[in-house]
Parts: sequence; C-alpha cells; structure tokens
Amino acid sequence: MQRFTPARRLLSEFKCSLRRQRRCFSQVAPNVVDNNDGFGPKIPSFDYSPPPYTGPSADEILSKRKEYLSPAMFTLYSKPLNIVDGRMQYLFDDKGRRYLDAFGGIATVCCGHCHPDVVEAIVNQTKRLQHSTILYLNHAIADFAEALANKLPGNLKVVFFTNSGTEANELAMMIARLYTGCHDIISVRNAYHGNASGTMGATAQSIWKFNVIQSGVHHAVNPDPYRGVFGSDGEKYARDVEDLIQFGTSGNIAGFISEAIQGVGGIIELAPGYLPAVYSTIKKAGGLCIADEVQAGFARTGSHFWGFENHGVVPDIVTMAKGIGNGIPLGAVVTTPEIAAVLTRRSYFNTFGGNPVCTTAGLAVLKVIEKEKLQENAFVVGTYLKERLTALKDKYELIGDVRGRGLMLGVELVSDEKLKTPAKLETLHIMDQMKEMGVLVGKGGFYGNVFRITPPLCFTKEDADFLVDAMDHIIARM
Amino acid sequence: MAMLQRRILKSTLEEAKARFNFNCYPLLPPCASFSTLPSSSTTATAHDDVPPQLPPFDYQPKPYNGPSADEILAKRKRFLGPSLFYYYQKPLNIVEGKMQYLYDESGRRYLDAFAGIVTVSCGHCHPEILNAIVEQSKLLQHATTIYLHHAIADFAEALASKMPGNLKVVYFVNSGSEANELAMLMARLYTGSLGMISLRNAYHGGSSSTIGLTALNTWKYPIPEGEIHHVMNPDPFRGVFGSDATRYAKEVQDHIEYGTSGKVAGFIAETIQGVGGAVELAPGYLKQVYDIVRKAGGVCIADEVQTGFGRTGSHYWGFETQGVIPDIVTMAKGIGNGLPLGAVVTTPEIASVMAQKIQFNTFGGNPVCSAGGLAVLRVIDREKRQAHCADVGSHLIGRLRSLQDKHDIIGDVRGRGLMVGIELVTDRKEKTPAKAETAILFEKMRELGVLVGKGGLHGNVFRIKPPMCFSKDDADFLVDALDYAMSKL
Repeated sequence: MQRFTPARRLLSEFKCSLRRQRRCFSQVAPNVVDNNDGFGPKIPSFDYSPPPYTGPSADEILSKRKEYLSPAMFTLYSKPLNIVDGRMQYLFDDKGRRYLDAFGGIATVCCGHCHPDVVEAIVNQTKRLQHSTILYLNHAIADFAEALANKLPGNLKVVFFTNSGTEANELAMMIARLYTGCHDIISVRNAYHGNASGTMGATAQSIWKFNVIQSGVHHAVNPDPYRGVFGSDGEKYARDVEDLIQFGTSGNIAGFISEAIQGVGGIIELAPGYLPAVYSTIKKAGGLCIADEVQAGFARTGSHFWGFENHGVVPDIVTMAKGIGNGIPLGAVVTTPEIAAVLTRRSYFNTFGGNPVCTTAGLAVLKVIEKEKLQENAFVVGTYLKERLTALKDKYELIGDVRGRGLMLGVELVSDEKLKTPAKLETLHIMDQMKEMGVLVGKGGFYGNVFRITPPLCFTKEDADFLVDAMDHIIARM
Repeated sequence: MAMLQRRILKSTLEEAKARFNFNCYPLLPPCASFSTLPSSSTTATAHDDVPPQLPPFDYQPKPYNGPSADEILAKRKRFLGPSLFYYYQKPLNIVEGKMQYLYDESGRRYLDAFAGIVTVSCGHCHPEILNAIVEQSKLLQHATTIYLHHAIADFAEALASKMPGNLKVVYFVNSGSEANELAMLMARLYTGSLGMISLRNAYHGGSSSTIGLTALNTWKYPIPEGEIHHVMNPDPFRGVFGSDATRYAKEVQDHIEYGTSGKVAGFIAETIQGVGGAVELAPGYLKQVYDIVRKAGGVCIADEVQTGFGRTGSHYWGFETQGVIPDIVTMAKGIGNGLPLGAVVTTPEIASVMAQKIQFNTFGGNPVCSAGGLAVLRVIDREKRQAHCADVGSHLIGRLRSLQDKHDIIGDVRGRGLMVGIELVTDRKEKTPAKAETAILFEKMRELGVLVGKGGLHGNVFRIKPPMCFSKDDADFLVDALDYAMSKL
C-alpha cells in the first residue's frame, strides 16, 4: 500500500507536475502502460475465475450496435470494453481480465455483481412464477413493500412499484399535481430525474433536454458548494425558490423535487441548510416535497440509509430505482396514505410493476444490506476513500474538488484552480488510463469533468487504495 | 326463440344426464375443486349438472408454505395503497405457473386464459426461456450500455430481422408506457410538429403523457396532456359507421383540416385494441389513415404491445393484418414472456433525430432481459407459435360463435388468433352492456378454473389472450365452462 512517500520525492514530483500544468493541457499526455503487469499499483486479489468467454468479439458487437441500436448510444472509452461477467465489486472483460468496478453500473449494483443471495432469490422465484400481475395476489410484492416501508420515516408507507427511475419520478410528479390541483413543479439546475416528458422537464441540463414541450417546471439556482454563487450558504440559495414561487407561479405549486446528492450532475451535495429551508417554503405554498433517492438511497451515503436523512428532512414522496434491485429493472414511489389516495380517482396500472421476481430480488437486497452491514461499510470505506482522494487533491492542482458522502464520491478536475476551468480532455484521458490500469470509474457533471465513484457497497479499503494509487500514478505521469 | 331452444336443450341434457349419471360424482356440488377429479374429454355441449373439467397436465407444483391470501391482502391494503385493485371478490393467491396454467396456494390448477395481461407469450416458466434467464443472471445482471455486451446486440439484430421495410433501429426500454413515450418523442422531434392523434378507446400507457394518448376515461387522470386529439374509433361492433373504414378515415382527415395547423406529429394505434375490449380496427382503416397522416407530415406508430409476436396467428405483427408498414413500432408485454422489457423499432432516418441530445435508459437492454427476449423469439419460431395461434384461435373463435348462437347474452365474438374478445349485452339490438352479468360470469369462470380477462369501457368484454401454447383442449374447456356458467345465469 503506497501511502507515504519520502518528502523530497513528493516535492520534486509536485514541482514537476506544476511545471507540466503550466504547459498547455490541450495536448493529451502520452499513454501510460496499458496493462498492470509489474508496473504501477496492483488490483487487490480476488478468488474467482470467470468461465471462458466464447461469444462475439467487441468488434462484432460494435458493428451490430451501429446497425441495430440507437446512433446516439455511446460507450465510455476510446476502445470500448466488452464486459461479460461480474462478481461483487469486479467486472471481467471478454479476455477474462478483471477490473475494479468503481461505477457500479451507474450506482446500480449495490450488493455486488451476481451476489449469491440475490441471484438465488431471483433464480428460485423465476423458476416458480415470473409474472402474473397484481390482479392476482402474490406474497413477494407484499413482503417487499412492507420491508421497504419499514425503512422510511414518518408516515411514508404506501409503495407503488414501477420499472425504472424515470417511471418512478413521472408517477411522483403526477401524484403531486393531482394532490395539489396545481401544475408547477420546481427542480434544481443541474438535476437529473429521467427522460420521459414530465421528468425531462424536471431534469435540468441542456444535453438531456430535447426540443419538445416540457411544461410546468421551474429550475432553481443550484446550491452547489463548489461552483455556486453563494458557496455553502444553503439558506441564500433557498431564497431563489421563494422568488420562483412568488414571481413565477400563482403562489401555489404542486411540489419540489431534488436529489440529495446530484448524480449525473457530478456528485454535488446540496449545500447544508438548503433542503430544510426549501421544504418549509414549499409546504407554505401548498406543495409536496419529492426526494429523488434513485442514486443516493439504499445505504450508499453511509451515514444514513437515505440521502435526504443527511439533510434532516422528511419528504412527502420518495422515489427510488437503480440500487433497489441490484440491477434488476425495478423502481418505486413511496408516499403517505393520504397522498396515495389521490390515485383512487381513476385507475393507475403498471403491468410489470411489482412482479414476483423483481420484488423478491428487492427484498433480498434489503436483507443483504442489513446482514452484510453494507451501510456501515459504505461509511467506513467511503470516509477512508474520501480522505485519500482529498490528500491527492492537495498533491495535484488538477483536482479542483473532492466531494460526496459514503460511497457516492466525486472528483472534479480543473485546469485552473482559481477559475475552476473544467479539465474535460484530461478527465477523458485519465478515465481511459484508469481503465487500462484496471479501474472503471464514471463521468459526470455538466462539463463532463467529474469522476463519479459509486461502486458496489462491498467495496473495500484495498479497493480504495488501488483506485487512488492508480489515479495518482496516472496524474503523476501527465 | 332462445327460451324455446334452451328448454329443448335442457330436456335433451336431462335425458343425457340420466344416461351418464353412473359415470359422474353426483354427491359433489357443481363448483367443487375438480382439478383432482380424473379429467375426461369434454364434448361440444356442456352437461347441466357436471361442470367441464380441465385438460390433464403432467406437472406437480411445489408445496406452498408462504403467507395466505388473507395475510397478503392485509399487507397490500396497508403498504400498497387503496388504488392497487385486484380481480375477484375473493382474490386469488397465485404462487406458481407452468406453461398455460397457474396454481394457487392450495395447489389448485387454473387455465390461464389471460397470460398476465397478454404478457406471458410462450408459457409460464418455459424451460428454454428460464434457462436463458438463469444462466445470464449468474454471469452478469447489469452493467449498462456504456460497456459492450453481446446480448443486447444479438437481440436487437434478431428483433430487427422480424421487421419489414427499413425498420431496424431498436431502442430498449422497460415497459410499454416507456416505449410509447419514446415513440411520441421521436414523432415530435422528427416532424417538428406537436399534434398527436390516437383512437378513442385506445390504451397506450399509464404514465403522465401516455395517459394523453390513452382514450378511456377510467385510466385518465385530470392532468394537462398537451397537443393530443382522439378520433372516432373504427369499431365494427359499436362504431356509428360499422365496418366502413373510409368513413372513419375521413374523420381523421377532418380533424387534421379543422383541428390542427394542417401538419401533425403522428398517429398511434393498436391494431386490435386490448384494454378497450379486443376491438379489431375496421379492415382497410390503417391503410387509408396512414396515407392521410403522412400527407400531413406525420409519422405512423403501431402499438404492438399486445398484438405482436405472432399472437394474431395470420401474421407476426398486428399491423401486418392491415397491410401497412408503420414508421415506428412499439412493443412490450409478450416480448420477454414477463420480463420487464419494452422496445421501440424505427428507421435509421427517424432514429437520427434522437442523436441531437443524449437519451439514456439505465436498465434498458440489460443482459438478462436481452437474453430472455432473444430466447422468446427463438421459442416462438421453433415451436411455430404463430401457426399454432392461427389454428387454435380459429377453433376457439368457431366454438365461441356457436356459443353466440346459443346464448343471447353474447353480443359479439371478435378477434384473431389468440387475441379474442367476447362482448356481453343484455339486449342484442341496443347492445346494452351486460356489466353485472359479466362480473358474475367472470367470478363463475374462476370457480370453474378458468382465468379470463376483462375489458372494454363498460367492463363487459371478456378478453381471451392466453399463453400461446394454449391448446384446442384448453379452448374446448374454456368454451364449455363459459357455456356451463351462462346456462346457470
């Protein structure tokens, strides 16, 4: 474990890196070694060998994707990875090479790839009954709904199952509008809530918004401690929400939706004090508060089970997806009986929602999180990882900010520390090199200059060390 | 006339009963748990006192040790909210499925004539599909399309090969609602227009914007829907123009000329309306409307969520029965035999507009669902499910038409392949929906061991859309059960 280097070497490395940073960074630095053999940090050992892969090659897949799938479908690397197997916090490519999955299929695989308990639950249920709809009874949906409700505070105990985060947020927004009789919803700039009509409106980054009508959504100033105009003063940002309501709406609104830590937006934790102040404003305007826990939920933040708990608030509606099923297509909306009653006015139905296999998997996930104390692990390892990354930030000017909580961390790269100029090309380069070294991270932020580190919650300290050492190794050679 | 017929039939049957009495179990009440009785082949006429019996099936469900129906219902009421409705006065606790049969907590077998709402296309726990799902789940459940994986590519290729014309770019989503949402977005982006047109009595989804396309008040919450209009339904049974497609098509023309700027984004329709009660669009309708919509700059979307994958028997896709090629096709339900999966297929030209911005679906196209979907396509082909639907479907419809001659309450029998509807009316002339009777018969069918679906705006249509492994014996059993139940009304 490389943790302490002699001071002199550190200083000369630092001077070298300073000198390099004064050079023009638009020139991407040469590649570091493209394999992990005996050079640079090593991936922690792991006792599992994937079965040999005999399927189509990466090139064959790429050409089929070009022909039969969306032209806008993108991959993360200059040479896209063909991922064929996964085990806990590791992924394997078609050559059997192992990678540390520090992205978790976008904060989705929370227990670990192919976690035995979850797989067993899925397989057993699939062999019995895949689907029949909620028109008939089945214990799986009821047991899971109960277990999920028990994880939530206050009177949040009625669950609606959907198949994705987008569906969950769409339903939440519709419920808020029906309940209040108002149409206006406020979301936060830089937010991501989904890609269907209502959620595209709530999503607030131009790259995700098509030129179609997205009505009734207002976007508030982002309480971004790193780039925001008011720094970490949550209450100052909250005033913008008040203004939006007073000047942009009838004075009464349907609700407010936000992530506790913005995921796609680059792991931005809402400034402290923001949510309590905003929730108060929203309630005064008759609106409902929706907490989008699609990424921050299910123990990921370590200190609490839900992201919103870190802010000391209790929402009226909570939406979830991604980690809820360790990768199985599942989403949920949880709210109070009073609010839930609004859907009885007509019929709301979701054919696949609440099917036995997905709900069985969901229940297995909750059990694994508890049994393996994954929340505590997220806290311990996450804190450790953040400390190491912060030390790295002190070492390199390229790293402008290290933020987040538990195992939802972000590393923002800038080419100028004062101006905070996004270092987009460097981010791409480092990401590619990390992959060559065996670490898969994610990317985010409006400028695409933030590393998103949201691994499976079974991530260890050794994994954390490997990740940081790899990053250190790469940046040092730029 | 029907009364006389019934009296004659009754005396005939009574005579027959006298002859057959020694073969039956007269001590058992008519609606006993008869799945344990030895099954006998059913005849065309139902015996008045002995209910028809399920065809035999060589399978033992696993013993069930889980919570009871009452316990589950109590939890549902508490944790799943009052809006989560269910079938039957005494709801059924379904714990296991095998091919076209379902089992309740006591191990009783039922004929699943609704397939989890037209969703279990190949059969519950079909071994080949099960194997694909299980094997892939052990390897990799999820990583997203930011990495490569062969399953999504192979499945997309196989799906595209089933499509006519230049329909070959596939988008994977997780439900029919998501698919129709995406189709609507594509239509609006591609044309630069806003106006969407759908049919009255259509169902296209339950999300806030597909609710706009859906046109049945039961499913429509009072929320803004944007620029969507609903045109006259080309309903041969209840429509004002009968089966005259041209007259209905003119409605669309009129709407465009008077109700829009003259240009529209698109038109979407199911070829056989599902939730709306298995209403097959008047023949020739789509050809004319597609023409009209395209002249107005719009795209044509075929919602194949229920009619796709060989179910209509005569064709693989519902739209093929109307002799058209749409610009966008949406699918879900049967595509994965129950896996949460949906898809949109369109042309490269239309797909290119989606490249203006980023649209990403986290779960869409995941390895497990893709592997399952590919297995479904293979099973449908290898087991010749489409031909089977045509064969069994025509037998079923034939028998139902005979039943219609016998019982006045059957106002209409319609559909194609294994997508069949039976509309019940109290008055054949007025076509007054027989809502109460439908509800009673619905319950009776369950008691007899047949699970059907219900639809239509007035809830007076039985929807018969079983897993496509449904046999002629199953069809006979279903019709005999219906006959039996109706005779007792």
